[in-house]
Amino acid sequence: MSDLSPRTDRPAMAFIPRSSFLVWLNLAITLLIGGAGFGLGFAQGLSAQLVILYTVISSAVLFWLINYVAVVFESRRAAVQESETGEGARSASGAKGVWQGNRALIIAMGLLLIAYLIVTATVPAFRTVPNLLGFLLLEAILVFAFKVSGVFVHGRSAFIGLIVLLALIVISSFTIPGFLSGPNIKAILLFAAFLGIACVGQTLVALLGGLDLSIPFVIGASNIGLLYLIGLGVPSWLAFAIVLTVGGIIGLINGVLSYRLQGQALILTLGMGFAVAGFVQILTSIGSSFSGNVYGTVPGWLQNLAAMNGVTFGLAVPPTILLWIVLAVIVIIALRYSAYGRYIYALGGNRRSAKLVGVSEFKYWTLAYTISGCFAALTGSLLLGWSGGGFIGVGDQYLFTTLAAVVIGGTSLMGGYGGYGFTVIGVLVLQVLSAFLIGIGLKYEWQQFIFGLLILPMVALYGRMPHIRSQV
Amino acid sequence: MSQSRGSQNTYLLVPILLIAVLLSTAVIRGPNLVSLSGFGSAIIVSAPLILATYALMALAVAGRGTVDLAVGPLLAFINVSVVKLNGLGVVTSPLGVFIVALGIGVLYQLLFALIIIVVRVQPIIVALSGFLALTGINLVILPRPGGVAPDWMSSWGLGNTIFSPVLLMLVIATGGWLLFTLTSFYGNLRMMGYDERAAYTSGVRINIVRIGAHVIAGLFVGLAAICYTGLIASGDPTQGTTMTLTAVTALVLGGISLSGGRGGVTGALLGALNLFLIGYVLATFNFGAVQAFVTQLFYGLILVLSLLLTLLVPIIGRYVYFISPFAAFMVLGSIVAGIMLQVSTQTTYVATSTAPVAVPAADVLGRYLLLLPGDPTGAGLPSFSPLLQVLFVLAAVLLAITFTIRVTVAEALSLRLGAFLYAFVSALILLLFFVVAGQSQPLPGDQPASLGEQR
Repeated sequence: MSDLSPRTDRPAMAFIPRSSFLVWLNLAITLLIGGAGFGLGFAQGLSAQLVILYTVISSAVLFWLINYVAVVFESRRAAVQESETGEGARSASGAKGVWQGNRALIIAMGLLLIAYLIVTATVPAFRTVPNLLGFLLLEAILVFAFKVSGVFVHGRSAFIGLIVLLALIVISSFTIPGFLSGPNIKAILLFAAFLGIACVGQTLVALLGGLDLSIPFVIGASNIGLLYLIGLGVPSWLAFAIVLTVGGIIGLINGVLSYRLQGQALILTLGMGFAVAGFVQILTSIGSSFSGNVYGTVPGWLQNLAAMNGVTFGLAVPPTILLWIVLAVIVIIALRYSAYGRYIYALGGNRRSAKLVGVSEFKYWTLAYTISGCFAALTGSLLLGWSGGGFIGVGDQYLFTTLAAVVIGGTSLMGGYGGYGFTVIGVLVLQVLSAFLIGIGLKYEWQQFIFGLLILPMVALYGRMPHIRSQV
Repeated sequence: MSQSRGSQNTYLLVPILLIAVLLSTAVIRGPNLVSLSGFGSAIIVSAPLILATYALMALAVAGRGTVDLAVGPLLAFINVSVVKLNGLGVVTSPLGVFIVALGIGVLYQLLFALIIIVVRVQPIIVALSGFLALTGINLVILPRPGGVAPDWMSSWGLGNTIFSPVLLMLVIATGGWLLFTLTSFYGNLRMMGYDERAAYTSGVRINIVRIGAHVIAGLFVGLAAICYTGLIASGDPTQGTTMTLTAVTALVLGGISLSGGRGGVTGALLGALNLFLIGYVLATFNFGAVQAFVTQLFYGLILVLSLLLTLLVPIIGRYVYFISPFAAFMVLGSIVAGIMLQVSTQTTYVATSTAPVAVPAADVLGRYLLLLPGDPTGAGLPSFSPLLQVLFVLAAVLLAITFTIRVTVAEALSLRLGAFLYAFVSALILLLFFVVAGQSQPLPGDQPASLGEQR
């Protein structure tokens, strides 16, 4: 995860705790869980190749994660011990002190309790043990999120996101039969991959303090545009390249035009998106009797790339998922260690100082938008492979979900804080939640309603602005 | 010196210019616009958009980059609620419907304001949250377009009269905002939008001001939803996104700054009308199956272009400070009104071509003179010879131009569009309506009746 910012008080790559006891403990936990997963995999009758792959990957990720958490706790404790003498005087005593320290937590827990009681009192079918357990789990998450996440200086949002993700997976695997089955996980990851690829650009742009609302329109336009080009007889790889290039050019135009209008990038990209979608639809409906829809055959390699039954190097995993993972690693590393990534953070954090240091604002701004357009086009092309037919409205739901994933992950829309690792967590939370809601039988509109209500508290946990009093 | 003499409202020049061009094109392309039903349907079709743009405008002026993306879904939510409650027979009376619509709008916006103030999240995130939640719940309340609006609303959507309750609502909303601009609260609002810290340090109670702006926006959304319900005479949960996008476009077309502090009801009105006219003009061209796509393309292009034009506002303010927007409005308005009357009288001639002299010259002349302000002698003309008539018209035109220039100079110096001039412009527009009403419908007597009945 990219929530580890290089600090001055310790080496940037310190993923290993100082105390060797913690290292051994972590290793033991990892081996235990890895072994359990290994056994479960064989018990479920998966092929040995897959089981070994999954076990290795999950153990590595888990080991890295707990080591990271241990490091954060260690350094935090040291910092607290250093400053303990100064802070001792501030803490008030008694009930008032407790209330002042935990006001938000108590209010949130109270609200949740009231909501639970009301629903329980009114809907008889709701009075079941799993629901009670789920409620208690939610309260526990709240306590955890408020009390433990305070320990993290950076990456609070990522930590909360991970907790929520974990809780969601636990709840859904208990309440929904077959939630943890291979096909379901594959489906969740596949849709997460589409959303994640579309979010690459949105994250970069948000890090600079802008927004790109042209993404859904570019997705839809590239979706029908690619099929149209293939239908004209253009070789499919060339058509793919053309669509990606055109997407990049649209992004470039977005960037150049919005450079002087940064406060209104939101509206400008919206307008560009409208224009692009309209233009491509006009183009594709000339000489066609189906206005707006394009019919044709999708080439096999594209279908294999994104369809549910796609195969990667003999593994029954759609290559899109692998592509997303590789992309995520590249973007995270690039944002963290390349000059380009650091300059983006610098510009988003304080534009004026970055400019004075000599960073070309125009260059990075347009580059971020270009990347955004390019990845939107890539998502549209992949969605064509997934669905097998061109449809302009395929990108519509990405208008706000890309934004929601970025926001839930914890990247600030004001720029300068966040990263693609955060967005990956946001994407996974959204997709798992969506799968959970579908699993318990809620329709799309209820999902949307819950997404909307979810964004606010998640952002409120970490994305609050300072009071105007402290800004003067 | 030259800086201080420029009008504050130079940003209106772009939308004014645009509306003149669009209105002329619209009238020439589709002469039906200049008729009783043409104006009537134009008002009812554009009213929800205008009022929704007002709501966005009130929030945009409050600053912090508040673009309430949820305005469309909120409108649809009120629409769906009203239709649903009407279907259940709970709320059917006009008073009840107004209370429900305005109440929901105000409550939602109040919640919005409180979240911004207490939780201190960026407004765009609250708006996004509200957008998703409301879009979802709309489909839960009413899964597909349907339902019936209250009976007393059923005649609104026909749009065959200008003086409908919808126009009354528009006038009340516009007038209300203009009255509001006279208060010191408005000054505080603009100050807060322009620089929140400065407002806070100079003692403005910014929380109260912000709540006030949101309550006003809520009222506007409620009115917009009532107009929308009247327009479609049923419930439609699906149009929220489109309404948001068009209202935001209209806001930008009206030259209102999304970064706060600059904006007004005039800009919002002009922007919404511009957008309506763009749609109207495009509809007069027959693009066949790709009509919707062409409209989409043009909406997008015009949005981008008008955003780029706002970059020119400071330049305009620097170099053409002597042109007040009001003067531009007057000059272009009379030109467009002339074109409109020309087109409408032309159709009269065509319609009565069997009797070429059916319309007396004096009538036409009188109609023209009606538009020229400051000339009271339009009545006793018919006995003059054609030469004298031409001379008289020339004199009247000169008089009008002099008057306009005088007003213009005074306006450019006074820095603000005064209330008197607003009254003057609205009187002008009302006169135009009367002319058209009298022309298309020989029975002006039933208009007050319909107006009174609806109230």
